[in-house]
Amino acid sequence: MSIAIGHGGFTVDAWDPGYSAALAADALAELGATSAELDLDVELPAADWRPVSPAPDAAPPAVMSIADGVRRIDARVWSHDAGVAPPSPGVAASYAAGIVRCAPGGAAPATLAAVEVRRSLFTASPYASDIKTTAGIYRVETAADDSMEGLSLALQQRLTELEVDLSVRARADDAGEDDLLLVDGPLRGRTHLPRTVGYIKTHHTAYLPGPQAAVVSALGPGQRTPVFLMGTSWRRHAWYVALPIRSAAPWAGVVRCESGADMKPDEAVRLADAVTLALPSLAGVDYKDPRAPQNLVPIGGLEKLLRHRLGDPRLLYRSLRAAADR
Amino acid sequence: MVENGAPILTSANGSASSGVAVGRVLGTQAASPLSFWIGIEPGQAVQLDEVVITRRDVPGHGPVLMAGIVTTVEARHEGASFDSDVFLIAEGTLPAAVVECAEVRVTRVEPEVFVPPSPGAVVYRAQAADRDQALYFDVMDRRIPMGLGRDGHPMYVNFDFLDGTRGAHVSISGVSGVATKTSFATFLIYSIFNSGVLEAESANTKALIFSVKGEDLLFLDHPNARLDEAATNMYGRLGLPARPFHSVHVFAPPRPGDPNGVPHVSARTQGVSAFFWTLSEFCDEELLRFVFADADDERAQYSLLVGAVAARLQAWATPAGDGGAVVITVPGGGGVTCRTFADLVDHIADQLTDDGTRATWAGAQVPLGTVNAFLRRLRGAVRALAPIVRGELPSGRPHSISTSDAQVSIVDLHNLPERAQRFVVGVVLRGEFARKESSGTARPLLFVVLDELNKYAPREGDSPIKEILLDVAERGRSLGVILIGAQQTASEVERRIVANCAVRVAGRLDPAEASRPEYGWLPAISRERATIAKPGTMFVAQPEIPVPLAVTFPFPAWATRPSEAGPAPSTAARRTVADPFAGLPGADDDIPPF
Repeated sequence: MSIAIGHGGFTVDAWDPGYSAALAADALAELGATSAELDLDVELPAADWRPVSPAPDAAPPAVMSIADGVRRIDARVWSHDAGVAPPSPGVAASYAAGIVRCAPGGAAPATLAAVEVRRSLFTASPYASDIKTTAGIYRVETAADDSMEGLSLALQQRLTELEVDLSVRARADDAGEDDLLLVDGPLRGRTHLPRTVGYIKTHHTAYLPGPQAAVVSALGPGQRTPVFLMGTSWRRHAWYVALPIRSAAPWAGVVRCESGADMKPDEAVRLADAVTLALPSLAGVDYKDPRAPQNLVPIGGLEKLLRHRLGDPRLLYRSLRAAADR
Repeated sequence: MVENGAPILTSANGSASSGVAVGRVLGTQAASPLSFWIGIEPGQAVQLDEVVITRRDVPGHGPVLMAGIVTTVEARHEGASFDSDVFLIAEGTLPAAVVECAEVRVTRVEPEVFVPPSPGAVVYRAQAADRDQALYFDVMDRRIPMGLGRDGHPMYVNFDFLDGTRGAHVSISGVSGVATKTSFATFLIYSIFNSGVLEAESANTKALIFSVKGEDLLFLDHPNARLDEAATNMYGRLGLPARPFHSVHVFAPPRPGDPNGVPHVSARTQGVSAFFWTLSEFCDEELLRFVFADADDERAQYSLLVGAVAARLQAWATPAGDGGAVVITVPGGGGVTCRTFADLVDHIADQLTDDGTRATWAGAQVPLGTVNAFLRRLRGAVRALAPIVRGELPSGRPHSISTSDAQVSIVDLHNLPERAQRFVVGVVLRGEFARKESSGTARPLLFVVLDELNKYAPREGDSPIKEILLDVAERGRSLGVILIGAQQTASEVERRIVANCAVRVAGRLDPAEASRPEYGWLPAISRERATIAKPGTMFVAQPEIPVPLAVTFPFPAWATRPSEAGPAPSTAARRTVADPFAGLPGADDDIPPF
């Protein structure tokens, strides 16, 4: 269904924006990570692998900053330069990243330390121009190809860039403070940041070989696997942590954490202990959040705040339709 | 007088005359010209009853000021979806915001362009001229301070609605003991006398207070020894001097059994006189009607008989000597001298039970049963009325209640049985009303304070007192008789009386009573609050202001019990020998409810 065709214009697709764009963003992010090289002997020799409880002298971080981002496709659009080329598909999307600072168990309330909202039009068309609507401006971002997957990947890349950007800035602002930055998702461009941990909720690939994978299944709540190194072009320290959960299924409530590869092994182990101590108190409960316990309470709260900051989807959709008519 | 809207012109964008911005108009709740919600800025707080203003530029009208009173304040966590999230938020795990919002009931729109405030508009705490404008104090030519608002600034009542210019009468409701109805009524009178609105008439304006509860009101002209600096400051802020009433006279019934008719007051000896009526006055002024002042008396068959006997007494009684005794001479018969009320009742009973004389007194058709009912009722009144209807006391003593003696006249009824109280209130009110009627001018005013109005003017039934009170309520405004009525339950008072009260006041209310339609003038939230109102806090509604104002009136500057009484004033000392025991602590030593 087309509404208006003008020179260098665009049309808003009447289909629901979420339709067929459901390829999981996390899955996209993990693409290419299947053939990882492992160094299992960082903390314990691979043969001695067993569930590890944090060392008695380990302490959870006093302050945790947690970074996350959300994305939403506001509308699917067709960009066209009348008569020159066939209309090219694109997506108008809003995405936001934020950092919440919390001191679990402390008296200080959790605060939103940083937040940034962006709106972009992702398209492969060379004719597309920024869309100015009453609700905001959608800047053109060029995607590699105009398939839905390509557009979605472009969106995810921009969001990741925004998250990385925000984390780097936040780290620069409070450098020297004894806090821990927990990044929702893989570390990606943030491996160089000090005391920063990537937090991966879902497991698309079984990295560990059989005997070590069995250790993951044997983890009790609040325990972790020994730290290991993984990666090819990128290398990171990683370990699995079991969160408290009622389900007895293997791998239920297990998350993977990763930190930069260039830190010393004992440094990585201390960091792993600190994270393992901090995480269980932040775990959500299943009746409040379907993604509990992996979706930590601050992440859930942050995502809710960020989604709210994305703006009202119906309002944005309407403003895009109105802008297309002009 | 401040010109309407003048402060608007002097303050661009509302920042000049009103200080602190407290929040912004909410857009998530619909804002209307009559009420709107505001989000409170973090770090700011508003409380109930605070006065806030906002402005909006309306095309074609210029800036429009919207002022109102905070009627609800709420705080909650935004971003929490489960009740248990409060713990997560408190321990710093879940990010959420504490948001406070307040509902504002609009009191004034100036100029009258009824547009809603724009969501997002800054709301200021109203101060100085803006506050006066919000509460209409700027258009009150003559205003009476009635206490301090929540912000510590004076609240006023428009005197035009008290003195009969545009309205009159005050109705005060509240539960006994904690509502401080009488204290507020007394303070209001004090404020009227001392605020300067009466100008030249201030000396001649009188108050008549019927005191039914103990001897609390007998020390109005004594300074209060417990008055501290804070209370004095409060008077200062209200622009009133902190001092007792300067001219008070107390009327008390004679002590029972005392041959000289000494007033029955234990706590006060100066400026007190006994009141009673002589038998001669009783007959001459047809006071018999007020003996039958119960509501059920009017429904009874004998009401006709009461009128007939009263008329006969007026016609046939002649004074005997100076003491007030009467000789009743039936035409064609001999005269009988009555020296006490019991004598008179006995004589009437004799005459009515005697077949030979009954027709002369009552007319031919009155059945014996009616006569007996009348006599039973009359005899029942002897014990109550004998102390105040007298014929045997020495002559020449002033004994009538008159408001001319002092600025404040107090009629102490607490020693009298209920029937006698009714009698006194009825007769005194009739007398004062008649006096004002014959004087032909409303000024100077007479304020009448009457507690337990539900007893004198009940909703059901009819009585001579209720008639007079209705007369006062309906015509008093033009005659200059202003009723300040107090009652526990306004729902039990004659509707026409309450309806005629321009100013309505509620103290602490009983929850069941507060839900009655008589309190419709209180918004729901104020009604709820009235059930927990502290002593000294009153909700005052006046016709000009669409919401009742919560005020706190100051601790009395006059003594309310013997233990508080400072030295007696010189005016009282002039009348009688100085009391060497004045000012000593008495038995009544409990702490007043402040």
